[in-house]
Amino acid sequence: MRNRALRIAIRMLLIIIGIFFIFPLYWMLNMSFKSKEEFYVTPFALPKQWIVDNYINAFQSYNFLVYFKNSLIYTAGTLVLILFLGSMLAYCLSRMEWRFSKYALSYISLGLVIPVNVVMIPLFIMIIDLNIQNTYMGLIIPLFAFGLSACVLMLYAFFRSLPKELEEAACIDGCNVYQSYFRIILPIIKPAIATQCVLIFMNVWNEFPLSYILVTKEAFRPLTVGLANFFMEIGVTDWGLIGAAMILSSLPTMIVYASASEQIENALTAGAILK
Amino acid sequence: MTRFFSTNTSIFIFAFPALFIFTAFVVYPLFPEIVISFQKHNGFSSQGFVGFKNYIEIFSSNSFWKANTNTFIIVLLSTAAGLPISLLLAFLLDSQANGTRRYFKAAGMLPAILSVTVIAQMWMAIYEPQWGLLNSLLRAIGLESLSQEWLTDRGIVIFSVAVAFLWQYIGLNTLLFYTGLKSIPKTYYEAALMDGAGPVKSALMITIPLLQEVIKFVLVISILGSMGMFAHVEVMTGGGPGYFSRTIVYELYYKAFMSSEFGVGSAVAVIYVLQCILITLVLNRFVAREKIEF
Repeated sequence: MRNRALRIAIRMLLIIIGIFFIFPLYWMLNMSFKSKEEFYVTPFALPKQWIVDNYINAFQSYNFLVYFKNSLIYTAGTLVLILFLGSMLAYCLSRMEWRFSKYALSYISLGLVIPVNVVMIPLFIMIIDLNIQNTYMGLIIPLFAFGLSACVLMLYAFFRSLPKELEEAACIDGCNVYQSYFRIILPIIKPAIATQCVLIFMNVWNEFPLSYILVTKEAFRPLTVGLANFFMEIGVTDWGLIGAAMILSSLPTMIVYASASEQIENALTAGAILK
Repeated sequence: MTRFFSTNTSIFIFAFPALFIFTAFVVYPLFPEIVISFQKHNGFSSQGFVGFKNYIEIFSSNSFWKANTNTFIIVLLSTAAGLPISLLLAFLLDSQANGTRRYFKAAGMLPAILSVTVIAQMWMAIYEPQWGLLNSLLRAIGLESLSQEWLTDRGIVIFSVAVAFLWQYIGLNTLLFYTGLKSIPKTYYEAALMDGAGPVKSALMITIPLLQEVIKFVLVISILGSMGMFAHVEVMTGGGPGYFSRTIVYELYYKAFMSSEFGVGSAVAVIYVLQCILITLVLNRFVAREKIEF
């Protein structure tokens, strides 16, 4: 009896804490459908009159589609590069025999210790010197370099668990190393690649400091930075418009999360368990 | 057979592109950074070496020490408050039925999947002094005396920003701990129950020791994550009022990109990377133990 009461109490507590996580999102949605006047009078109640003016306004004054397209390009580009070159490096480190492979593995782990913030300044100067500032490559390459370590280390562990016979069979069947890698090994590690896709997507889509500093032209800004600049421009008076811009910018990730919540949760926890 | 595949050409093709870009954009920049930290540099060109002048300047500036204190406060809060709260929530979650669990997971993950900009702006609305959620709530329960200017009060501002930051990742950390809890075989608890251990005792004697791999992982990512906090500060306060909510990364950003003193900014960055290395060494030395196999 006492146990049951305790369990119900815990459930109530968890539900209340859950609301604490959801409420701000509800509030944001709520403010995006209110007129400016109504918002200041009753900030929390449901809108008396649901208006979509804020969204129309947001589409006019906030370059959502441009930022969205840029975010898509940055994320897709980084994703492809990391998965392609990162998995090849991980494969080479775990299954090929060469003298420096152990050193190369420790070297790549350095990427987990050097945070991106540390080298912001020289990176900024380098990007200007290389003449790639405000191009898609100018952000994709640094994002790739800083996302590489985590992916390589995880895939390395995965490649280690595959049996050696795979390559032997491929070799006997007359595959060269590239055919054996791209036709046989890569399809086998699909689950690990899927996990990496989720992790890289989440990291790159929401990345802030690098994009904020390296990209100085409006036309090349991704969503996170475009939104921050939009807020700084319009100031803090028109919360209906702010709410609409927030909802618009959050929709893509929320749709992705809603359609693959389980995979995303598994991917995000994979790191902790694999260690 | 793998030897057959491991020709010099194939190793080069597989390893070189990634290693080259990694070296050029992650490792190499540390060297110019150290060089710039001894120069007067405006971002476009160097105006000559100045010896330790930049370091002397940061060590004698109030904003640098404030930034360090603030960063320390955030690291302390996320480890001493954030982690125990997440661990406790994971324990509570473990005692619940599927429905509650799914609801809580989805709710807790929501902040973690949204972008920093959205979270920071949302918390600006929560902290707004006149109609903001927090002050309205305090007024509603008759604690008006506790209402504050959350983002403009010099003494409080860093805690306000820290709460927004912790709030974003508590759900994710809970999920990480919960996944760790699930991977511990149930038989251990049955044995403990037979020996007469209660839930608290078995949590302390079984779960926490067996969870140390996960705890270490979450500890490392929380410490390194909170040491690098930048975006929340930039969006919510811009480091203000004055320099009272600057973190160490904000300080380096401010020096380099807001006041065009790239030399001074690089000196801050060098100190910061030394701190990161020191913390990683300490964590590896004291937190790492033998790996546990079930």
